Amino acid sequence: MVFTAFLSACSSSFLDSEPITLLTDVNFYKTKKDAESAIVGCYDGLQIIYSDGIAFPVASEVFSDNTFGGTGNTDGLGYQQIDEFDLLRSPSDLNQFEPNWKNYYRAIYRVNVLLSKMDQIDWEGDTDYRNSVESQARFLRAYFYFDMVRLWEKVPLIIEPTRENIPQSEPDAIYAQIADDLLFASEYGDAGKSPGRVNRWAAKALLARVYLFYTGYYGEDDLVGKVNQNQVLQGLEDIIASGLYDLVGYDDGNGFKDLWPAASSWPNEKGDGLETSYVGKDNKETVFSIKYNITSDYDGNIDGNHWLVMLGLREQSFCPYGKGWGACTVSPKLYNAFESGDLRRNSSIIGIVEEGLNFNNAGQREYTGYSNKKYTPLSLPDGRDVAEANNAVNFMIGQYQDYVVIRYADVLLMAAELGSPNAQIYFDKVRKRAGLTSKPANHNNIMAERRFEFAFEGIRYWDLLRQGLEVAANTIAESTTVLNGGVETNKVIKKENIIKTRGFQMIPYNQITLSGGVLKQNQGWE
Amino acid sequence: MTFDAYYGVQNVARKIDMLNAREYAVIMNEAAINNGKAPYFAIGEITQMGEGTNWIDEMLYDNAITQNYSLGVSGGSEKTIYSMSLGYTGQEGIVGGPDYSNYNRYSFRINSEHNLYNNIVKVGENLTFSYIKRNGISVGNQYNNTLRGAFNTSPFLPMYDDDGNFLNNSRDAGVIYQGKEWVPWYDGESNPYASMVYNNQNRNNNQKLFGNVYVQVNPIKGLTYKSILGVDFYTGEGRAFLPSYTLSMYAQRLNDEASQSLSKGLALTWDNVATYEFSVDHHDISVMGGMSAYRNKGSSMYTRNAKLVIADLRHAYIDNTLNTDFSLLDISGAPFDESKLLSYFGRVSYNYLEKYLFNATFRADGSSRFAKGNRWGYFPSVSAGWVMSSESFMSKTQNWLDFLKLRVSWGQVGNQNIGAWQYLAPIQTANVNYYFGSADFDASGNTPGAYPSRLANEDLKWETSEQFNIGFDARFLAGRLGFNFDWYKKTTKDWLIEAPILATAGADAPYINGGNVKNTGVELNVDWNDQTGNFKYFVNANVSFNSNKVTEVPTSDGIVHGLTNMLYANSPEFYHRARTGYPIGYFYGWQTDGVFQNESEILNYKNNGKVVQPNAKPGDLKYIDQNQDGVINEADKTMIGDPNPDVIFGFSAGFTFKNFDFSLAANGVAGNQICQSYRDHSNAYANYTDEILGRWHGEGTSNTIPRVTETNINYLPSDIFIKSGDFLRINNITVGYDFSRMINKSFLNQFRIYASVQNAFTFTKYNGMDPEIGYGVENGSSGIDLGYYPRPRIMLIGVNVKF
Repeated sequence: MVFTAFLSACSSSFLDSEPITLLTDVNFYKTKKDAESAIVGCYDGLQIIYSDGIAFPVASEVFSDNTFGGTGNTDGLGYQQIDEFDLLRSPSDLNQFEPNWKNYYRAIYRVNVLLSKMDQIDWEGDTDYRNSVESQARFLRAYFYFDMVRLWEKVPLIIEPTRENIPQSEPDAIYAQIADDLLFASEYGDAGKSPGRVNRWAAKALLARVYLFYTGYYGEDDLVGKVNQNQVLQGLEDIIASGLYDLVGYDDGNGFKDLWPAASSWPNEKGDGLETSYVGKDNKETVFSIKYNITSDYDGNIDGNHWLVMLGLREQSFCPYGKGWGACTVSPKLYNAFESGDLRRNSSIIGIVEEGLNFNNAGQREYTGYSNKKYTPLSLPDGRDVAEANNAVNFMIGQYQDYVVIRYADVLLMAAELGSPNAQIYFDKVRKRAGLTSKPANHNNIMAERRFEFAFEGIRYWDLLRQGLEVAANTIAESTTVLNGGVETNKVIKKENIIKTRGFQMIPYNQITLSGGVLKQNQGWE
Repeated sequence: MTFDAYYGVQNVARKIDMLNAREYAVIMNEAAINNGKAPYFAIGEITQMGEGTNWIDEMLYDNAITQNYSLGVSGGSEKTIYSMSLGYTGQEGIVGGPDYSNYNRYSFRINSEHNLYNNIVKVGENLTFSYIKRNGISVGNQYNNTLRGAFNTSPFLPMYDDDGNFLNNSRDAGVIYQGKEWVPWYDGESNPYASMVYNNQNRNNNQKLFGNVYVQVNPIKGLTYKSILGVDFYTGEGRAFLPSYTLSMYAQRLNDEASQSLSKGLALTWDNVATYEFSVDHHDISVMGGMSAYRNKGSSMYTRNAKLVIADLRHAYIDNTLNTDFSLLDISGAPFDESKLLSYFGRVSYNYLEKYLFNATFRADGSSRFAKGNRWGYFPSVSAGWVMSSESFMSKTQNWLDFLKLRVSWGQVGNQNIGAWQYLAPIQTANVNYYFGSADFDASGNTPGAYPSRLANEDLKWETSEQFNIGFDARFLAGRLGFNFDWYKKTTKDWLIEAPILATAGADAPYINGGNVKNTGVELNVDWNDQTGNFKYFVNANVSFNSNKVTEVPTSDGIVHGLTNMLYANSPEFYHRARTGYPIGYFYGWQTDGVFQNESEILNYKNNGKVVQPNAKPGDLKYIDQNQDGVINEADKTMIGDPNPDVIFGFSAGFTFKNFDFSLAANGVAGNQICQSYRDHSNAYANYTDEILGRWHGEGTSNTIPRVTETNINYLPSDIFIKSGDFLRINNITVGYDFSRMINKSFLNQFRIYASVQNAFTFTKYNGMDPEIGYGVENGSSGIDLGYYPRPRIMLIGVNVKF
């Protein structure tokens, strides 16, 4: 047997070999099943972009006036560096966003390869399915680029797989690509709803968000000539008219709290578990969310919500609030700005003193007495983290709360802002759910309402920037005192720093070095 | 029959001194003040402090044993010759001791050869079987290096709490130390010794059956045909117990786990060689041709599960695990990447009167590691020699010049040592999941996906090493003085490397043929041996000079960049693997010019009308503005060190006097630099080596070590990490005495007892644990000291018996 094996050695095919446990790009991207696998691989990209570095939802809150950097009193000052837009605050933190930069491009690569192989796949005549896959892929790519163009403004625009050293693009080119991708998904995306899946309604809603940011920040009249205000408004009205979405807690008067696990859970009577009125994931208000599962581990599975732990109370849990690293300490200004009777305040913010929590702030930096209730780990009455009690690997990577990117409330408020004839009705609906009375639906009131509706959802900072850099800088600039390890310390955020950086972030220095200087650092971060 | 044995103890040759608790408190205070904070401790508090915990001592184990025993028999007759041996080697590790770092090998060997049919056919075999049991700790980069924790953990952290358990460095966890509830000094640190105990409870064993069987046929005079079948059969098994623990809020394992792994493989080689020798009028010619085929196949499996019935190493088997949740279960099994080689080769040898020698070889090697079309490499080589001393015109020198041979050679050799299928772009399907369900969570509800994980490189081909060599060998004075000289030039072409790739490429980097590397040098060897009466002695010295340079790099900027996140968490790039005109793995960063002693030095350091380092404070490093543009940036980085030595040398000497023998051997290098980073500079609370006691803390106190700060502004890539790596090591001193004459039995030929010290003394300016750092973070880097497992000093006694 051995000798026959070797007699065959005399032929050159002896040296042929192929991998048994790996597919290769030569035998993949052929069938509809391959297409489905590939698009799921693209969705997996949504989980990797926030799994390392500083996640966009967390970073957006740190940038804004909602929260300070926080974290531990003995930690490095990286979060303070981005909170205060000041490189010198932590001069050796030169690559905080590098994992995100790399992961965004990895996620984009998956989409680009799939799109480049669309013609190679045998769709068996199912054009609907082909359009569905293409819509999902293009929406995801637009999502990744929208994050990147807001974080760094000028990034290399890669829409086909390439190894070349591509220089950065101007924002207009990137927004044009985002618009094209979202317009395709708006037209050809699925008309129904499926948990976690992109559909045309999500595309229309994201397009509106892109439109508002671009026209606001850059002072333009339309989205790079691709789409104008009426078209965007029409898209939002389509979502409203579809009847597929509605506000949670509106009909039953519960308000807002059932949207958020921590706000809607409490210890049960026996004291050995939690009772909850949480409406659940993929509820009727969720237009698009990034979904997480409990199965993250250190062997390569990135399925969990790795950033949720940043937002938990520093190292201490008070049922139902779980422990975490204490980033994004909430500004008292926000807590005190809610109108009296606004049901959203206590559903969004943990008042440590107000709720009688015996929190020891010796290990906390920038303690303010307030913390995030919307996105936080949960704990059981005996102190155990809920994810761990359900067999997650640990509380740091095993969290599974979904990130709701777009809620129906945002669709209503964006439509009101864009001048819908029903603006007042939409505006009042959102306020009524919050337990508040009607107010004129003018621009200022709408922007103010957004602050209270979307606190800690990664939206506030971009709402500020799109009102103009001056407005954002004035609002975020701060001079106050906080407690660092229990010691009163000054906290200063200078307006000049925000203006100097134009509101954008540092491009990772390692990537600039690797590009041999083709990439150029953003103003204010040199 | 022979019996050889030795038994010795190992200790670390040089320990690093870290700061004790008092010194550490002083430095922490100073760093806080330098960062505008109030000091942590009052002077009175510091004087009350004890020594604290010396983590280096805790991690290292004294007198780790090393031993070796082997018994051999050999003999023969006209028809058969044989040799057999049985041996045992055991070595305990100096980091962690025998419970965590241990190696035992039992081996058996049998070689024999038989003549059949009147010596026309010879049949033989060589077979070795070994059984290895081992348990090892992690070495490697800063994250996988068990020893590195000892460098960074503060001396404030105690080893045990009052209950005798490893102290859990978490606040509000009810940990009692010295009667009070323990409050961590720094939440992020944990007991590195405990970490080693909790993460290195494993038992591994593997078996190897290695050998060959051959037949050689000699049908007519001068013609020989030999066929050899080689076998390498290996199996391995491992078990690990991973207990649950909490050592700090970051260092914890929730569930105890057990894992089992099994693997098995077989590599077969088949060589067929035919040789024909003939002679025409004193011209001896030999012609050889042959082929060789190699194939390696195997598979492995791994399972890990949680929640053991009895939580200890003895019971760490999968059947004892109770967990049924997918999120805690890990299973995998796969074949080894198949590896196949096919070669055809031929050689012609010629010599005339053993005076003129000539040799030419040609090889064609094919490897399965490359795509079709690139599989074959062709490697010729040729050499010639001239034994000048045999010439008639040299007869006058015969009384002092015994032998002089000039030789020259040129040849190519191929290398294909990369993973399999690197030329393809694999589609990854493992761990690519998304959850499309609406439950809060569902460990079995993930939908699997796929994505291309690495870029392809179809053009990947053989790496070729080409060497040109010219030299001579000479012996003088009745063979007492010997002299060897070589000049060589070795060029490695199409170097196989994984070059870091831009993030925008979106996938892992492929292997590329990344450039040419040239090594040029000279090797010199002198030896003298002589005897007066019963006193025989020898001296030997060798030296080689080498210069290393990269000559061509096919990336867009001519550089193959180094890895980041190596020196300390999130550290930037500090070396280049390859760049045209530079040595391999050279260190790259800013050059410093001392330390700013006061404000006016900072303000006076101007170029191009600008203050070069406006944010510096007295005590910070002064960086050299190479291009004089008034700004310190990427453009001012330059080569700051070279890990390749310029000179490598060694010498040995010894004598025998009657039954007594003594020998000494030494080696060393010069001209290389080492990059040292024990401390994790991203952590303000990491401990320092005592080198920091010489830091700048006021005008004139130091011009080399900057002030301490809580940020790492003085630990950016610059020559502060670079130290000279020259050393001379006396690496063996042996003294022995042969008792066989005294015992005087006819069957006893030798009974020698000896004592030996290995790694006896090292003369070096390098202040790390061991200047002989081969470690590089990847292929193409070297000389990086991250706290690597040090080479021990071994004292042993041994015996050689022949009877």
